[in-house]
Amino acid sequence: MEQIIRLKDCDPNFVYEVEEAGGENVHLCFQCGTCSAGCPTVYTMDYTPRQIMRMVTLGIKDKVLNSETIWVCASCYTCQTRCPRGVEITNVMGALKSIAIREGVRAANEKGPAFYNSFVEIALSYGRMFEPLLMLKFAQKSEGSLSGTLKHLLRHASLGMELTKKGKIALMPHKIKGREHMKKIIENIRKIEEEEK
Amino acid sequence: MKYAYYPGCSLEATAKEYDMSVKEVFKALGVELKEIEDWNCCGASAAYSIDHLLSLSLAARNLALAEKENMDILAPCPECYLREWETSDSIKMDRELLDKMNKALEGTGLKVKGSIDVKHPLDVIVNDIGIEKLAEKVVNSLNGLKVAPYYGCVIVRPPRNKRFDSPERPTSMDRIIEAVGATVAPFQHKVKCCGGALMMANEGVQMKLSREILLDAKENADCIITACPLCHMALDARQMYIEKEYNEKIEVPVLYFTQLIGLALGITPKKLGLDKNFVPTKKIINSVKLASK
Ligand code: SF4
Ligand code: SF4
Repeated sequence: MEQIIRLKDCDPNFVYEVEEAGGENVHLCFQCGTCSAGCPTVYTMDYTPRQIMRMVTLGIKDKVLNSETIWVCASCYTCQTRCPRGVEITNVMGALKSIAIREGVRAANEKGPAFYNSFVEIALSYGRMFEPLLMLKFAQKSEGSLSGTLKHLLRHASLGMELTKKGKIALMPHKIKGREHMKKIIENIRKIEEEEK
Repeated sequence: MKYAYYPGCSLEATAKEYDMSVKEVFKALGVELKEIEDWNCCGASAAYSIDHLLSLSLAARNLALAEKENMDILAPCPECYLREWETSDSIKMDRELLDKMNKALEGTGLKVKGSIDVKHPLDVIVNDIGIEKLAEKVVNSLNGLKVAPYYGCVIVRPPRNKRFDSPERPTSMDRIIEAVGATVAPFQHKVKCCGGALMMANEGVQMKLSREILLDAKENADCIITACPLCHMALDARQMYIEKEYNEKIEVPVLYFTQLIGLALGITPKKLGLDKNFVPTKKIINSVKLASK
């Protein structure tokens, strides 16, 4: 397969941006492919983990952030465990997700960002997870329309019922006392990240 | 022995039987658990995928709360365990990060020092309490029961310094199975990913990966044991969906490892929440009764 990479489409700072966001040692990758060989979800990726590492180094930011790969990565750490060069591949995938979310990139699979965003919104406002609300938010965010949301919820209704019957779902959210702490932490983090820019 | 207990959100809800069985087993083994007061959600892989600093800071608040009591943290959920452990380990090695964490906690009245450890119950049972001590307390032998130990991903990965078991060939659950008199079933999928993290966003992938694990276990084992709420959800609660999708019967019970230990220690199935698992656990409970006669 012939691929042409145009310099003008490359962002030489991208690799540093990724390392800053928590994915270290990308520049050490020597393209052996061990990561791709052991990846359980590579069969459904558009670029293999090895390819993504190379694309990050080359700064092909656009394609990387728009890839399916980062959203079907199951964060299993198999690749990171086996990489002979100490590339933190799983953390790189995590960093790429965070950059894609931050930059509002429309993901190839919108369910990924929808799930993460729903989860964190609840965690930050209550200080604890509340599964029924997570299901609802996720359905809304990933489906968009009301009919889509309802269909989605219906499809998962039976599991929800079973969980409720077994007493495995809380009916009311548990809100921690330190909810102010959560707000403070978010404010402080914004400040730190501003300063670091 | 005393620990600051960090149940995490799953153990309060969908993994209730894990919470129940951890508490029962640790009581029986003479270890005191004191729940961290007003702990917060660790943000799991979601916060981690949105903002690395946020993920570290959420964990830091819990560390600070436990440090006030001067106790090591016990975290049964591997995702919580990873987040808390990672932060705790990182601030011990990286002064700059420690300062950053305290900046993030400014105005909360909390400070983090990096003075405590974060442990998983598997580690504590195998290495701190000791496998011999566990074996001594066994009253029901699980003789004849074939068990597939499923470790999943993040209990043993990523392999940073001081992890308690091997990332590719872990043995702690195997040793527990032997200590309670059961047999470790041949099982290829010990550390293969169940796709649990994709359960919501990519159901198809999760079902495919979980199914491979279940079919492997079905070959040689009477049940699977796991130490993770997410793996448990993927393999147990979602087993009926997998059966439907692939039009086949699987019917492999999936127990938390603490439920298995509890049975051997003579704790009642009810107290271990064995009625809360989705795939019926009756066969396993019955086989224990027979063995104890
Ligand atoms: S295993 Fe490591 S060195 Fe090999 S291709 Fe993957 S990231 Fe690069
Ligand atoms: S962490 Fe992601 S990229 Fe790495 S092996 Fe697992 S699924 Fe594949």
